Amino acid sequence: MQYVLNGAIADVPSEWHDESLLFVLREYHGLVGAKFGCGVGICGACTVIVDGMATRSCQVQTAELTPTTQVLTIEGLEVNGKLHPVQEAWLAHAVPQCGYCQSGQIMSAVALLADGDRADATASSDAILSAMNDNLCRCGTYQRIRDAVRDLIEAG
Amino acid sequence: MKRRSFLIGSLGTLVAFIGTGATIYGALPVIPKRPMPGTDDALGWIAHQEGRFLLTLPRIEMGQNIATALKQIACTELEVAWDKVDVAFHDSDLARVRSTVGSESIMLFAEPLAQACASLRDALRRGVRQGLVSAEPRAKEQLKTFARHGKIGRTAEIVQGREIVTGKALYASDIRRPGMLFGRVLRAPALAEYASKPLSWNAEAARAIPGFVAIVKDCGPDIGNAKGLGIIAERPGVLDRVVEVLNVVWQTEEPTTEFSSDAPVDVDRRPLEEMPSNVVLNGRPEPGPWNVDLKLSIPFAAHGAIEPRAAVAEWMHGKLTVWAGTQDVFFIRDCLADAFSVAVEAVRVQSCRVGGSFGGKTICTVEAEAATLSRAAGAPVKVQWTRAQELASAFHRPPSSHRVRARIADGQVSDWDHRQVSSHILFTSAVVPNLMQQATDAFIGDGGVARGMAVPYVFPRARAAYDLVRLPVHTGPWRGLGAGPNGLVIESAIDEAALAAGADPLAFRLAHINDSRLAAVVEAVGEMSAWETWKRPENEIKVGRGIACGIYKEVSYAAVVAEVEVAPDGRTRVREFWCAHDCGLVINPDQVKAQCEGNLMWSVGFVLHDHLPMERSRIVAETFVDAPIPRMEDTPRMNVELIESAKPPAGAGETVMACGPGAIANAIRAATGIRPTRFPVRTA
Ligand code: FES
Ligand code: FES
Repeated sequence: MQYVLNGAIADVPSEWHDESLLFVLREYHGLVGAKFGCGVGICGACTVIVDGMATRSCQVQTAELTPTTQVLTIEGLEVNGKLHPVQEAWLAHAVPQCGYCQSGQIMSAVALLADGDRADATASSDAILSAMNDNLCRCGTYQRIRDAVRDLIEAG
Repeated sequence: MKRRSFLIGSLGTLVAFIGTGATIYGALPVIPKRPMPGTDDALGWIAHQEGRFLLTLPRIEMGQNIATALKQIACTELEVAWDKVDVAFHDSDLARVRSTVGSESIMLFAEPLAQACASLRDALRRGVRQGLVSAEPRAKEQLKTFARHGKIGRTAEIVQGREIVTGKALYASDIRRPGMLFGRVLRAPALAEYASKPLSWNAEAARAIPGFVAIVKDCGPDIGNAKGLGIIAERPGVLDRVVEVLNVVWQTEEPTTEFSSDAPVDVDRRPLEEMPSNVVLNGRPEPGPWNVDLKLSIPFAAHGAIEPRAAVAEWMHGKLTVWAGTQDVFFIRDCLADAFSVAVEAVRVQSCRVGGSFGGKTICTVEAEAATLSRAAGAPVKVQWTRAQELASAFHRPPSSHRVRARIADGQVSDWDHRQVSSHILFTSAVVPNLMQQATDAFIGDGGVARGMAVPYVFPRARAAYDLVRLPVHTGPWRGLGAGPNGLVIESAIDEAALAAGADPLAFRLAHINDSRLAAVVEAVGEMSAWETWKRPENEIKVGRGIACGIYKEVSYAAVVAEVEVAPDGRTRVREFWCAHDCGLVINPDQVKAQCEGNLMWSVGFVLHDHLPMERSRIVAETFVDAPIPRMEDTPRMNVELIESAKPPAGAGETVMACGPGAIANAIRAATGIRPTRFPVRTA
């Protein structure tokens, strides 16, 4: 089977079809940015973007992907050595502590900002909370995440 | 599919091989060693080649961004640009350094590293280009670090920041080896102290699952008294499917002693006339009625790191390599050498970036599981615990029960009595067997439980003492150790004393403080929050402010003001924090603030969320829903100010745990008139 991974066609051999997208990304493709935190859709550490939506990759069965499914992972954000604005904002605010949750946090923020309706500056606090509240961070970096996303929304 | 048939074919021998090894596991505990770092050691942390430097971190990086601070010190002493120094994580071939615990990294490692880098710089200036450099220690004041030159006291680009935001920073679970398999060790759904073992299982059904490789009996060192049953698969998801059909029947020893999961420890079990065994403050309160008499209960809590512990193990020619996310690769190496009866030289443990530890990744568990399964499989094996395993098989914050009483005379506290019952923290049952623990209980007590129990105030007659109880649940270090619970208790009681004396809580604290640095943070936080002039808003929502302060390990100081609102339905939310922090000389102010912010979020969790549901014989929590941690919606605005000074640098990783919870509890009291005594506070 095939799907589109970070803009390129990716093949997955049959023995991996029963695996979650998270494990296919990590252990078959070797893209380890998305993390295993809970495996049951609660923590958000495994968040990637599937067809524009922030999605828990631990809950996606690989067999359900189609040749037109677009999967974007954190490894696909950088273009020609240039970081995505969300990545830049994360560095500018020195967000990461242990960093384990941050790939998921960043992908949730990228999905929010790509959605012009949700990322409306007038409703930014509510939008940030509804987009980010289910990405858990035990180190407690939430204030910096909130500030980074707010800056990005305000910068349009 | 070749590998699979090979392993199934050899399963019989494989089990026997592991079986004979099993009897040697863990007869005596391996004790962690804690050497003090010196300049000679530090020379092994820094190397030079053709204009570039390699800093091998003597610490574990687990989110405290210690790599950044140590690199700032190295660049400062070497007088080189930021991009001239590469940073590497150490492995167990480095000369032993103590485990990364207790907020000690800057306190103990800044000077040796600075000395070593200064010696190297001078040697290079003399034209030395090869060989080993010897230490030329100089007076501390002559080091650029302590004179706050160069990159000291400034913000710096986070080491590995770019790797983290691009998904390239490697944690133990990110390591991939050629031919690597995936393993899990199943254990009985029972508390760790109850003897349990697998009796039977459906190997036939497991074998029918595509990708199944092997079942490993007698699997590795026990965790507590829980024997494991190992499974190995070609792909990680196969493990779940094998577990589903394996249908393991466990034999579990029925608990002989009654264990109440609701109130596992109770300070009132011992009559008030009797002194608890371990004395922290030995003042003698006078008999008579008390103005304040509180009983506070603090429950079990999980660490809740987002990274479940993981390890990759690989045996080659009788030598073992393990990639681990641990706070102490040397201790893990020693445990593995002991468990597998090989020389320590035959084991190499590579530290990886850790996805949060908070005291919880200090013992050898998943590393031994991976090593056992790798030996059985004859291939590298990755093991990452499931979230449910993380909650069931790791150790946790102990529950503690406190009774604290205070008497007021002439508007001041005259007598103070704080009694506590807790299970162990430093001499954790997860490592120390029962008999040995009885000896430590009798002769040493437990410094982790005692931490922060001595009041930071001057009271004429103050007593503090505790008893230890071994529980069937493994307990151990958790961010701040005793400082969290003890700080919450002390700061609740002094708040009640201030109320009873009719005094302002901030002024009342200052009146009992004779340590100028503690007074300074209290005054600073008062100013930051406009404590004196703030008025409760006139509306129906209950709003209140609370203050608390504390000293961590006698070297770091913090004070916090919390503003809390309690909605009509009981929902409690911290709206804003102000925090003043003094840990002496600061290497990286922004990252000290980040640690304060993290601890403030942990304080929110401490008061409003942290608990670990269990039944009489097992921990029932399996997810973050059962054992919740704070979310963005729980995040108030946090204002942190640092009082920087030339005082020796101390720790910042846990200080605020001594006062953040107390500030919230006091704010709830101010908002509602009700003193929180059972935690977490039920908010709806
Ligand atoms: S690992 Fe997917 S949500 Fe936690
Ligand atoms: S940075 Fe450690 S869990 Fe978020």
